[in-house]
Amino acid sequence: MPQFEQVSVFGSLIFWSVISFAILFFLLKKFAFPPILDALDEREKKIRGDIEESEKLKQDVEKIKTDLEEKLRDAHGKAETIVQLAQDEAKKLQEKTVQETEAKVKQVQREAEQEIQSSRSKLLQEIRSYTAALTIASTEKFLKKALDDSDKKRLVDESIEQVIQELEKSQRN
Amino acid sequence: MESPLHHFEVHTIVPIHIGGLDLSINNAVVAMWVGLAVICGMFLLPTKRGLSLIPGRLQSVLEIAVEFIRNLVYEFIGEEEGRKYVPFIASLFLFILACNLIGLLPGSYTITSQLAVTGVFATGIFILTLIIGFSKHGMHFLGILVPPGIPKVLIPIMIPIEIISMLARPISLAVRLFANMTAGHTVLAVLFGLAMTGPLWLGWLPFGFTVIINGLEIAIAFIQAYIFTTLTCVYIGDVIKLH
Repeated sequence: MPQFEQVSVFGSLIFWSVISFAILFFLLKKFAFPPILDALDEREKKIRGDIEESEKLKQDVEKIKTDLEEKLRDAHGKAETIVQLAQDEAKKLQEKTVQETEAKVKQVQREAEQEIQSSRSKLLQEIRSYTAALTIASTEKFLKKALDDSDKKRLVDESIEQVIQELEKSQRN
Repeated sequence: MESPLHHFEVHTIVPIHIGGLDLSINNAVVAMWVGLAVICGMFLLPTKRGLSLIPGRLQSVLEIAVEFIRNLVYEFIGEEEGRKYVPFIASLFLFILACNLIGLLPGSYTITSQLAVTGVFATGIFILTLIIGFSKHGMHFLGILVPPGIPKVLIPIMIPIEIISMLARPISLAVRLFANMTAGHTVLAVLFGLAMTGPLWLGWLPFGFTVIINGLEIAIAFIQAYIFTTLTCVYIGDVIKLH
């Protein structure tokens, strides 16, 4: 095998490979590895930072979302209360109006009844006076014809009395 | 038929002799330089231009490579201690990978198929682990020779066994890489020899195999570089953690 037979070249092979490795090591260590390792670290840091930031933003968004939902719920609640209040108010107002109208109607009714009552009694009065006059007139005529006829007089009285009673009775009703 | 081991021969290109030492530049050294030049170009040009936060294709490749090695180091040595070893381990990985891959080009040379080279690297790593161990733990580092929890009676037996296992580490490290590279290239050379010498109606068969084996060799180039660096991490991690 030449690797064991060519002993004379060992010196140069060892010398140049060690020297070349040393130069390669020096060059790479000085110029190549620091920037590459830095770039790796920097990227790692950046990715880590970005992920952390996005995580934080996500949390913020979550918080804002819950806040908004809570606010929305509050607003809904408030709106419902307002609607309820308005309904209550409207109901109250309606009831009040109805009551007032009823009261007014009742008063009008009462006034009308009173008016009717008064005009009726007035009418009755008139009727009574007419009847009285009529009775007096008819009685006079009866009296003129048969003054002594007591039965007739009594009949007349009775008839007047009956008329008045009936009038009064109807007036009471 | 040409010997399948012929392409492992080293030819001197520029003879250099300093004080009796033969430091000639040969085809193996040149092939290694080509591979390392590619690595340097890949790593130094983009970093010189400046890296962007959103990586392009080449930057992605570089970052994946470095991150891969960094995770390897963190896994076996630990994040605190491992940080300062990342450049060394990454350079080692890239050096071995470049040498393995450049050797797959026809006419070039795989310097990692030389046991002398892998042996020097393995020995260097072994010495490095000893230096790290002693500088970190002082004389307590010798405690690595005594596994925790063994009965006192066994200690005289365990210490030689542990010493042997420690010494076996660089040997296995060196031989594994050398043997894998040599074997793969030998298989390729044999198959090529068959393809070239056989008649055309038969020769296409070994040639087809060389295509498949070449793909396998690319994978092995990565795997052996990975194994070499992983074991280096394990050894360094061992001497730092002391069991």
